[in-house]
Amino acid sequence: MKKFINQYDDMIEEMLEGYVAANADLVERRHERVITRVGAPFQKKVGLVTGGGSGHKPALIGYLGEGMMDTVAVGNIFAAPGAQICYDAIKAADSGEGVLVCIGNYSGDLMNFGAAVDMLKDEGHKIETVVVNDDVASAPVDNMDNRRGVAGEIILWKVVGAMAKQGATLDEMKRVGDQVVFNTRSLGVAHTPCIMPSSGKPSFEIGPDEMEIGVGHHGEPGIERVKMMPADEITSLLMEKILVDLPFKSGDEVSVIVNGLGSTALLEMYIVYRKVAEILKEKGISAHKIWVGEYFTSMEMGGFSITLTQLDDGMKKAIDVPVNAVHFKG
Amino acid sequence: MPETIDFERVLSSLQAAAEKLRSQKDYFNDLDSQIGDSDHGDSIDSTFKKVLESLESYDTSKRDIGGLLKVIGRGIILSGGAAMGPLYGSGFFEAGNAAGGAAVIHVEELVAMMRGFVAGIEKRGGVKLGEKTMFDTVVPAVDALATAVESGEPLREAMNKASAAAESGMQSTKEMHSKRGRSSRLGDRSVGYVDPGSASMFVFLSAFFESLVT
Repeated sequence: MKKFINQYDDMIEEMLEGYVAANADLVERRHERVITRVGAPFQKKVGLVTGGGSGHKPALIGYLGEGMMDTVAVGNIFAAPGAQICYDAIKAADSGEGVLVCIGNYSGDLMNFGAAVDMLKDEGHKIETVVVNDDVASAPVDNMDNRRGVAGEIILWKVVGAMAKQGATLDEMKRVGDQVVFNTRSLGVAHTPCIMPSSGKPSFEIGPDEMEIGVGHHGEPGIERVKMMPADEITSLLMEKILVDLPFKSGDEVSVIVNGLGSTALLEMYIVYRKVAEILKEKGISAHKIWVGEYFTSMEMGGFSITLTQLDDGMKKAIDVPVNAVHFKG
Repeated sequence: MPETIDFERVLSSLQAAAEKLRSQKDYFNDLDSQIGDSDHGDSIDSTFKKVLESLESYDTSKRDIGGLLKVIGRGIILSGGAAMGPLYGSGFFEAGNAAGGAAVIHVEELVAMMRGFVAGIEKRGGVKLGEKTMFDTVVPAVDALATAVESGEPLREAMNKASAAAESGMQSTKEMHSKRGRSSRLGDRSVGYVDPGSASMFVFLSAFFESLVT
């Protein structure tokens, strides 16, 4: 295993120490595993919380900042944070206006955040939860509740983050947040697993000339294993499955994320986006906002994902509100 | 036998059940070694160690059955650990909500309390019957308890029936395919073994019910 770490057991602690030291103008460490924006909670603003396992940099803590998340519950590599961490993160975000918890659809995250939310509601906090399930590969469209959450989480954070900044209520944010999740569809492909620092073993096995369509952020099996193919071909294949899933249609306005999974070059991602743009034009769909880069990784996994969100006017306005998060600007 | 149960009885029964579970740690680890990662006994042991600690530090002069159950639930939810914490924790928490602040409850209220226990586990785990989990033990047990109480059977008889239903529920998991947790990856190979979580739930319920009427 080739990784720049010291001891496995110290990885998360040392990463957090470095992260807070480097970004002390924006974030602080409130509890051992809770990172917050400096000064959270904020008066007259609904609090925004996310959380989950580590290993997805710049997610999740890179999205802390004005216009996005207020606090994050940090778990171990690919493992949900415990309920106490979730409890502390939610509490740290609540100024009295309530808290919107925005998390991916993973059983450990749901269990621990769910238990923490029950405790806090019992103490009188007002809390709603939006669960992201944008990965079309992880279950058929008639079984969306079983889909995992991937890079689509970023669009949710962006939209509700802007709403909170502009003084929206918790109920409005919950309603729009659920709609953003429904409108968002993602699909990825990976040709190289990441190496699990605990065991030194790959997160999944794959041949040197193969790639897997729909592989999960933690190496969960995808829908199809195929031979490597040119960028245009795999991009067309992914786009076809994404477009029919909602379905996206002529006249739609969308946001697009082409997201690198950790070790795929930006050069390749722009080749992918070139084809995405061509297909959208062909279909009569216009791209209102485009992000190409590494936004939600799986350590050093090789591959990329595409996320499309169908935007209404309100969502478009929210998406355009500038943010100043640690790893997400503009 | 009185058809009501008081705070002290609930407290001592929870204590008895927690001690019984902790004494069987190795048995649960052995069961788990067949289809899991051999740590179910450890997980149960640490969860119910926390239950006993919550019981010791609870202000018993309040004689509040619901409050007691909620304190236990909170304690094990927030102590972290494996999935057992949030599952049992949410069970106790919702049982506490259902029981309310009384010092003495009637058997019908005991049924409501146990229904709350089931609802907490169901909500937290998103589990269904037939997935080879603790749920396959607790649901038939509480159903049997409710049926016996509704038909006016004496408390002891109702408890015996509930424990018997818990045991057959546990045995029924042997024939099931696991749909949850690590063992779900075994597919057909999970058949033939009792689910460790359903076994510990049987031990918990039978010890709790037995102690409530002894």
